Amino acid sequence: MLVLTRRRGEGVALGPDIRVVILDVKGGQVRLGIEASPSIEVHRDEVYARIQDENRVAACPRVVPVDAFHRLARRLVG
Amino acid sequence: MNIRSTRFGALDIADHMILTFPGGILGFPDWTRYVVLEHHTEAPFKWLQCLDEPDLAFVIMDPALFKPDYRLSVPPDALGEIQSSAPEDLGLVVILTIPSEDPSTITANLRGPLVISHRTRLGKQLVLPDDVPTRYPLFSALTPIHAEPNRRQWQPVASL
Repeated sequence: MLVLTRRRGEGVALGPDIRVVILDVKGGQVRLGIEASPSIEVHRDEVYARIQDENRVAACPRVVPVDAFHRLARRLVG
Repeated sequence: MNIRSTRFGALDIADHMILTFPGGILGFPDWTRYVVLEHHTEAPFKWLQCLDEPDLAFVIMDPALFKPDYRLSVPPDALGEIQSSAPEDLGLVVILTIPSEDPSTITANLRGPLVISHRTRLGKQLVLPDDVPTRYPLFSALTPIHAEPNRRQWQPVASL
């Protein structure tokens, strides 16, 4: 892992199109500003990880309660 | 193309039925090609079978069927990735999590819906804000459920 020390107002360039700026440092929290084109997805990593984890749990279900789905379908129709 | 799937055996998939997720589904970035399998009953769910990995399949459902007020706007980067901007081209499904120890507690991942263009056959999993649940209960009332093993009676379909 590359480790850099930056002060408030300084930034880091990731390739030609992405810039991350330190906006504020206070009480153990760092505020980041991220400048990137709209085609770059930016997420808090825990949000991303949560969906990855849920996909792994959801993948390859062993049994599917078809009866329950039928009941749900009847309720939706009714 | 002929593919092998762990659950449904050999499947003959026409090219126009193949869905491609260029970025993969989160957690499975190496596999990009899928097909939707539909059941010949009124059961309102479908399978999303991976064509690159025979064992990988998800149960998917139209969220409008159980949560009519589920709304989202597809961000520009996602529309670019699936090469579509016409709302009428887009389909939306969510992945269901079915715990094998208690299939009655099925939940739907509303935070990571799949948006799919019917025209370009490209899809993408969105990442919504963290106030949207990843485990939204599908069945509000807990009733006894008799789980059935998966059966090989699924057919590939071109649309969702």
